[in-house]
Parts: sequence; structure tokens; C-alpha cells
Amino acid sequence: MSNLKVNIAGVEFKNPIITASGTFGFGREYDRFYNIEELGGICTKGLTIRPKLGNPPPRIAECYGGMLNSVGLQNPGVDHYLQKDDLYLAKRDVVVIANVAGSTLEDYIAIAEKINGAQADMIELNISCPNVKEGGMAFGVLPESVERVTAAVKKACPDKPVITKLSPNVACIADNAKAAEAGGADAVSLINTLSGMAVNYKTRKPILFNNNGGMSGPCVKPVALKMVWDCYNAVKIPIIGLGGVTSYTDALEFMICGARAVQVGTYNFVNPYSARDIAKDLANYVEENDIDINDIVGTLILNK
Amino acid sequence: MASLKDRTGIIKLNERVAKDIYKMVLQFDDLPDGIKGGQFVHVKLNDKSRILRRPFCICDYDVKEKTILIYYAIVGEGTKVLSQYPAGEKLQAMLPLGNGYTPDKNVKKIVLLGGGMGSAVLPAIPTSNPQLEYYTYLGFANKDKVVLEEEMRAVSKELTVATDDGSYGQKGFVTNVLAADMDRIKPDVVFCCGPEVMYKALKKALEPFKVPIIVSLEARMGCGIGACLVCNCKVKRAGEEESYVRVCIEGPVMKLDEVVL
Repeated sequence: MSNLKVNIAGVEFKNPIITASGTFGFGREYDRFYNIEELGGICTKGLTIRPKLGNPPPRIAECYGGMLNSVGLQNPGVDHYLQKDDLYLAKRDVVVIANVAGSTLEDYIAIAEKINGAQADMIELNISCPNVKEGGMAFGVLPESVERVTAAVKKACPDKPVITKLSPNVACIADNAKAAEAGGADAVSLINTLSGMAVNYKTRKPILFNNNGGMSGPCVKPVALKMVWDCYNAVKIPIIGLGGVTSYTDALEFMICGARAVQVGTYNFVNPYSARDIAKDLANYVEENDIDINDIVGTLILNK
Repeated sequence: MASLKDRTGIIKLNERVAKDIYKMVLQFDDLPDGIKGGQFVHVKLNDKSRILRRPFCICDYDVKEKTILIYYAIVGEGTKVLSQYPAGEKLQAMLPLGNGYTPDKNVKKIVLLGGGMGSAVLPAIPTSNPQLEYYTYLGFANKDKVVLEEEMRAVSKELTVATDDGSYGQKGFVTNVLAADMDRIKPDVVFCCGPEVMYKALKKALEPFKVPIIVSLEARMGCGIGACLVCNCKVKRAGEEESYVRVCIEGPVMKLDEVVL
């Protein structure tokens, strides 16, 4: 019998499509286009312990088949989220994943303690934001620090499954996935954006005020697919794959490489219905082929 | 619940009006009601390599014909691609987005001030508020850049064109030309759209007249609907700290004295 439900760390998703952090606000904006309950899950905008102003503009630049951003984690702070958005989202029939970021280990612990008491279903640890100088990225590079911050959050937030979001800007992402697993992560998500630069040849300046940004969109998909496969072969915990997903066939490719669920990010900007449409198309696919979507996870057949 | 839509527009016209400046008419089966001057349309290119939508102000609209008019300059690859689309091409578009110019109830006399391509924001203001009196000032770098003169003349009590180099109309910066007329016109409000450098000059030039100045901002955008926070600009509101607000939602139309230039 066909099935589109997936289970990650004990949390059931009605379908494996989740919107990626930073591309979907807290769900309200896209709720004006379609009922967000048609999605499997929503990752919130990255939250910090205190409100964060973010970087000066320009914060976005286009590149071939993608874009770069340097928002710099602008957000109203976790307390504002708890008062306004947490309850709004809790009323909806969709898995809510609170994405959190920090500059110090203490920040991560403090925010994880707050999310532990929240309505959100899961916590996603952003240790890979390339756009804040002192930011989470420092925790996302070395396996030892990935393990340390994951373990600290796991301890501070014992009631929610912890997803560690991995950076591709590292020596070996599979080692970091293993480190997250060793730190007690219930799942890993990957990839965050690739560090990049867009340059204006006339002014000889980077287009982004921050000089560097995080690259995302269809152009990063091959990198993401390989990294998901590498991590799938390194850890036992479930993997959430993301990076350039634009269609249900992209989602299938990620799942074949080992992702249990898939996040849609940049493409929300291109087509506001994209995440919902991918979920719908995936439903048609499993029905037409009479398959359980879980059965395709990690079924990649390598060439000899 | 669902109050916004991505719509399919069909290009009725896409033609060059001046050097590197084009105008496009897009028709929709379901043109939404209540479009206001200063709002924008977020257009997707039919090109998978250039994925981001392009925001354009809705220059004007026609409820009967179910069309909108946009003016755009070729500034990069995206607008170059757009300029090559023939009539009949279909484009996905979200509209109307942003807040738009909303005259207060007591406003009767409005100065419309356009700088360069910023002039393309102005025509829809009289269309959505036909009962008001408009004094229009358009400034351009030179004669080759002049657009929308006749369209604005038709809806204005007075129209003045200035060019920086004097090759057409009055010579000089249009902000100074306006400042010289302010005592005579005594407008209730100035609605302006132009480059940031013009806003700085305008603030200075109109300082003595204590008139509210409302401007429209331009920003590189992502989602266009308030979710991604990339288009933000810095504002300083009375009694508040400086903060970044979304040009796509809290703007693009803002009070000049609140914008940190």
C-alpha cells in the first residue's frame, strides 16, 4: 500500500516535505498562498537568545542557477517567538521545528532550555550560518565542537528531538555527522549554504555588503546529494536532505541518497507554492507506483 | 486563509521607449482589485538560470482591460532577458505587493516628484486617487532619458520637466526646481520616487517648508512577501531604536524622515 508518512526521531510527518529555515519566516507569509498544513513540517527562521538586527543591505545576490544571501540571522529573538509564533504554529497540523543559533555555548544552552518548554515539536541546531562573524559557524567546522554543542543542547532540551544542521564548508561532512551522532543528535540536516561571493566587475566590489554570503538554489544540488550520501553511509540517525530542491524528482533523488525527509528552501522564493506542490506531486508518485516512500531511502545503486 | 496568488500574466506589449528603457503591458484574467500607486509586481523570468523574481513598480493599471503597465531599465542580465520577450509570452507574477501611497483624508494638493526611472511609480497614484490635485515634477539626467511626460501631463494640473544638463525642460536638479515653486504651490504632501541621492537632496531642499515627504524605496528582493528578510532597509522611528524593516511589506513607500539614508 502506498505511504507518504515518515518518522524522524519519533515525530511523524504526514509527508517528507519541510520548508527550510530562513526561507519561510514563521509560516504566516506563505499561509496567505496555501494552507501550510499541507506540508510535512516547517523550520522556523533562525532564532537567537536576543533580537538580532542582521547585516546591512544588500543581503541578496543572484548567481547562475541560484543565489547568495547574507541576512545575518535577523530575528525578533526567542522570547518574541515564544509569545507570538510558537502558539500560532502549535495550532496547526504541521510539524514545527524551531531553528536556533548562537554565538557562544552558553547561548545555545539558554535558547535550548527555552525551546524545551515550547510547543515546537523539534529543535534544529544551526551551527553552520556563514553570515555572522562570531556566529554558529565556529561550532560547525571541527567535529569536536559539533559534538560538544550538540551534547550541550541535548542536555538542555531533553524533551525535544535535536536535529544538528551541518555545514558543507568543512573538511569532511561525514565526520561532522558522526560527531553530531556521538553528541546525541536525533537527526542531522544538510546542507546549509555554501560559502560564496558575487562580484560587480564595474565597481570591483562584492555585491553583498557582508562581502561573503551563503549560496543556495538549484546550483548546489549535486554537492548536497553527494554529502547526503556520504553522511548516510557514516551514521545511523535519520538524515534530512536539502540544497536546491525544486521538484518531487529532486526530493526523490535526495531520499534515494539516504534522506528520510527533504527541505525546500530557495525555491519558495521562485514559486511560492513549490513546497506544497512537491508534497502533492510526491503523493501522486507513491500512489501511482504503489510504494512506501520509506522504502526508497538509501537505495542508491552505485556504478561499479 | 489564502489571500495571495501567483498569477499568470500575458505580455501584450514590450517595447523600447528610450535608451535601455522599456515599457511592458501585462494582462491578467484575474487582475486583483484595489491596486494602489506605489505597489509592486514580482515577476518570474522564464529562465531557469536566473531564478529570482524581479520587483517592478506598477506604473499604472487599467481595471477594464485587466492590465498593468511597467517601465523598466536594462540594468543587468535579468532585465535584458525580459526586454527580449515577445507579445504573447506568459509570465508568472505576484501582485499587488507592498503598501503603496495612501494620501491622508485631509490631503487635497499633492506634489508628485519623479527622479529618472523613479517617475514610473507616479502614474498609478492619480489613477487610484483621481479626485486630488497633482503638481508633477519630473527630473532626468538628459533629454534621452525623458519618459512619461505626456502621461503625467494628462493627469496633472501642472507639469514641469527638468534635466540635469538642461538638454530638455528646465535646467538643473528637479529638487531645486521644485523648491523654488513650493511657496506658490503649498502642497499638503510630496510623493516622491527616485534614487537615494535624490532623497538626500530633497530632504535638504524642502527642509524650510515643513511638508511631509513620502518616498518609495528600491531593494534587491528575494521572496517579495516578507518571509526572507533580504530587502530590509534601515529606519529610525520616533522613540525607537534604529531597526531594519522589510521594503516588501512595511514599504516600499515610507516617510522620508524615518528612512536612514
